[in-house]
Amino acid sequence: MALAIDSPRFGHVEIDPETVIEFPDGLIGLGGTQYALLTSDPDSPFVWLHCIDDPSLSLPVTDPHRFFSGYQVELTDEDGERLGLDDSTAVDVYVTVVARAELAEFTANQKAPILIWNGRGHQVINQAPGCDLRAPLFAEVLGGAAPADGDGG
Amino acid sequence: MLNITRRRGERVVLGDDVFISVLEVSGQTVRLGIDAPRSVRVYREEIWLEVKRENEAAAQAASAELPKDMPAPLKSDSGDEETRSVSINRAPARDENS
Repeated sequence: MALAIDSPRFGHVEIDPETVIEFPDGLIGLGGTQYALLTSDPDSPFVWLHCIDDPSLSLPVTDPHRFFSGYQVELTDEDGERLGLDDSTAVDVYVTVVARAELAEFTANQKAPILIWNGRGHQVINQAPGCDLRAPLFAEVLGGAAPADGDGG
Repeated sequence: MLNITRRRGERVVLGDDVFISVLEVSGQTVRLGIDAPRSVRVYREEIWLEVKRENEAAAQAASAELPKDMPAPLKSDSGDEETRSVSINRAPARDENS
């Protein structure tokens, strides 16, 4: 049976139940237990993590490796055990994106990536050093120019 | 809010399976040990709050269009599997001093 939602962003969307991602714990602070990855532009580096329980909730996410070279996810032992993950588990990694008017102001949350595997998703706290809650998304792509300070002196 | 006074080494039990121990009290700092089922997520409040705010900020953008003309990402490995493995810390993460 096809799943249909009425999304403020995408309108009426039919979702293949096979593509539904179960989030047993929801997103941190936001909840939702079923999401799907939607896009209207297959060429965009962004996809929308769209909540199915609450169709008013959707977040742009992206593959952090496309923007941050050397990005890594490290979990605590406790999280590894809790999620049934070990070093050999292959997972899709996404980070949430805060979109703003200027590209230089876009940020991604390196600290709380979303891991998806086997139809399940979890947002985790990344223990890798140097992770930023609001990492300028296009800093590397734009040539390492720091977006925040303008022309410093 | 429930207020409970505990000494070092004493515990509080939430429900039947979450145990919070006072491990150490030193000046303004209290070190807690938390023994809970794996399914229970435990966060420092400030981290939980920061992530919640970033999630909400990201969700706010849901009504705005993402720009079409943007610089190309570092690499576009479409077609390739974009799966990675994560690494699990071997050090006990809850025994930190920061």
